[in-house]
Amino acid sequence: MTADLNPTSSSVPAGLLTGSLDDAALLVRSRGVTKKFGGLTAVNNVDFDIPRGSIVSLIGPNGAGKTTFFNMITGYYTPTAGEISFDGRAITSESGGKVKSRKTHEVTAMGIGRTFQNIRLFGAMTALDNVRVGLNVHLRSHWWDSVLRTPSMLREEQAAIEEAMSLLKLVDLDKRAEWWARNLPYGDQRRLEIARALATRPKLLLLDEPTAGMNNSETREMTDFIRMLRSEHGLTVLLIEHDMRVVMGISDRITVLDYGEVIAEGRPDEVRANPRVIEAYLGRGAADA
Amino acid sequence: MSGATKVIGTGPGAWFSHLGESIVAMERGYRSAFRQHRLRTILLTGLIALGLIYPLLDNYFLSGFSRNVFPLPLPDPTVMTFMTIFAIMAVGLNIVVGFAGLLDLGYVAFYAIGAYVAAFLSSPHWAALGLNLTFMSHVGPGAQGIHLPFWIILPLAVVVVATAGALLGAPTLRLRGDYLAIVTLGFGEIVPLVFKNLSSITISFNLGPINIAVANVNLTGGVQGVNPIDPPFLPFFNVLFDSRSGPLAVYFGIVMLGVAVVVARNLQFSRIGRAWMAIREDETAAAMMGVNTVRTKLLAFALGASFAGVAGAFQAAYLGATTSDFFAFSTSILVLIMIILGGIGNIWGVILGAVTLTYVNATLLPYLGQRVQDSALGLPNPAQYNFLVYGLVLLFMMRFRPQGFLPDRQREAELSVAGLAEAETALGMPVDLDNVSVAPPGQDETGAESREAETIEEARDL
Repeated sequence: MTADLNPTSSSVPAGLLTGSLDDAALLVRSRGVTKKFGGLTAVNNVDFDIPRGSIVSLIGPNGAGKTTFFNMITGYYTPTAGEISFDGRAITSESGGKVKSRKTHEVTAMGIGRTFQNIRLFGAMTALDNVRVGLNVHLRSHWWDSVLRTPSMLREEQAAIEEAMSLLKLVDLDKRAEWWARNLPYGDQRRLEIARALATRPKLLLLDEPTAGMNNSETREMTDFIRMLRSEHGLTVLLIEHDMRVVMGISDRITVLDYGEVIAEGRPDEVRANPRVIEAYLGRGAADA
Repeated sequence: MSGATKVIGTGPGAWFSHLGESIVAMERGYRSAFRQHRLRTILLTGLIALGLIYPLLDNYFLSGFSRNVFPLPLPDPTVMTFMTIFAIMAVGLNIVVGFAGLLDLGYVAFYAIGAYVAAFLSSPHWAALGLNLTFMSHVGPGAQGIHLPFWIILPLAVVVVATAGALLGAPTLRLRGDYLAIVTLGFGEIVPLVFKNLSSITISFNLGPINIAVANVNLTGGVQGVNPIDPPFLPFFNVLFDSRSGPLAVYFGIVMLGVAVVVARNLQFSRIGRAWMAIREDETAAAMMGVNTVRTKLLAFALGASFAGVAGAFQAAYLGATTSDFFAFSTSILVLIMIILGGIGNIWGVILGAVTLTYVNATLLPYLGQRVQDSALGLPNPAQYNFLVYGLVLLFMMRFRPQGFLPDRQREAELSVAGLAEAETALGMPVDLDNVSVAPPGQDETGAESREAETIEEARDL
């Protein structure tokens, strides 16, 4: 089994760069999304779309609400208000004025995979088993199959191992399949997290600061790898990233959050020139200068 | 485990060929273990072999020696049978606490339910209500009360107890850590009390066509409990396994323990076992990787409980009687100490813990107590201070070997950071090293406490 995740891969849609897309071309569509923690509004009335087949970045200063937004897409947080849909299916629903969200594992099964800002691998499990946990959502055998070791369960496990190995090969970790995740070097852990996320067979991959703590050559490898995921596996990628070279180099579109609100949106060159963005990052003086 | 392609066929043939491969793999695994840890492997092999031949050794030689020549603290067949009963429970609790990391302080409740299932279905208990049914039992036809054979009671006990586990788990497994422990503790107290007190039920309900009148019905046998209960019976060979059948009952227990071990291992090395491990390592990350955490924890709870159901049914049938006094809170703690002592997460470890502690509790301490009394020095009787002894043993273990006699590799790694060892083992679950300072990590998303927890979570930026 190869690691071809979405055989029906699409190239970059025509309307992507101009920003004029109808809903069918959107993988994620969110409207008026708000999240309050007690008195703190972490995300305020955000409209945010991710076109199919694109690489989109979410940037902003620390505490701008990027990860909160991530967590709402994955169903981990329930928005206080607003609606999010994925691939034409609703993630949130409203009943009686209260927003409800699908459970995290359901959202994962719909086709959203993610990595974490500070790596959250299962440390005392092997690299292979980490990936196999990601495959869990696609396995059908029941606990009684496990107890009785039924042939169908054994076949499924065998196929899962093969798929997991091919994903490890994709991130160049097949030689370290039996290592414990916690014993892997930092860069390997980052890639293992991506392999684990890919094992959920996502359509959308959410990467939370994938190049944090990497040197120049590692960063370049990672950006090439992300591009390859889009071009060869048809994945759509949403990126949170602080490294502006990465963001500017890889993104089709960039959305800038500050204090939970969208302050700019557009192509990298547009965002780069936007005075509000410069202000948010560097302060008012820099924007005026 | 390399990616070598292997074709697995269908049907029973494939199952048997897998069995053959498993045996070959076990043999290979044993050889490699022998090469790597020679001393430990020899020791363990010796222990298992001793465990297997000991009942016969005792029956034909040792007990006579101890009785006639010199008194030794040797376990008698009843103690040995209880070793297997407690070992089955330890293997089950290890699924809940060791694999899934859920602290269950009310495990005795499931033991009690299992025992009462056997009591209700193979005793004269219901004769008082005019319910008489004898089916495939060695008790002759026309006997008073309900008499089903143990072979039917056992799966029934598993189903009933697993259902009880699921019923308890469904509302409570959203809780984490301490909260879950408290709720299970309550459950463990309530169930034996229910069995103790449902001995005189009077219901008078009259509403139009619905007319229920029940007067003074003894549902559970109350303080006296239920007896006599039919012992397990092996048809064709006409063998009973009760407290008079000596080593035979021990071997019966060993066979059931063997089945329990196979079931637990098959669960551990499967999709569900990996999901349990992932939840124990990082519940949030597991949920985000598509693990249905509530369902998976519920399965751990129900499957773990069913082992206690087997143990309970066997205990009741073996002793031929059951009362609610057998199922004190201290039994829950005892089983928990067994798995901590033996090595949480490691099936062989928890069996060793169960055997050791049962021996200390039922043979060694009473023996020492007898010696103390014989010496007439007025020393305190150690048998009365058994929990003091366990407390001290546990303290020493936590200080010097928190991972237990035979540690699980994963558990040992989680314990490797000094200072957290006590907390982790005491809680029976990994302490999240990254988030030690921010206290209980994220609660339920929709719960009342979620705001504060979410803010903390947000502060850590996940």
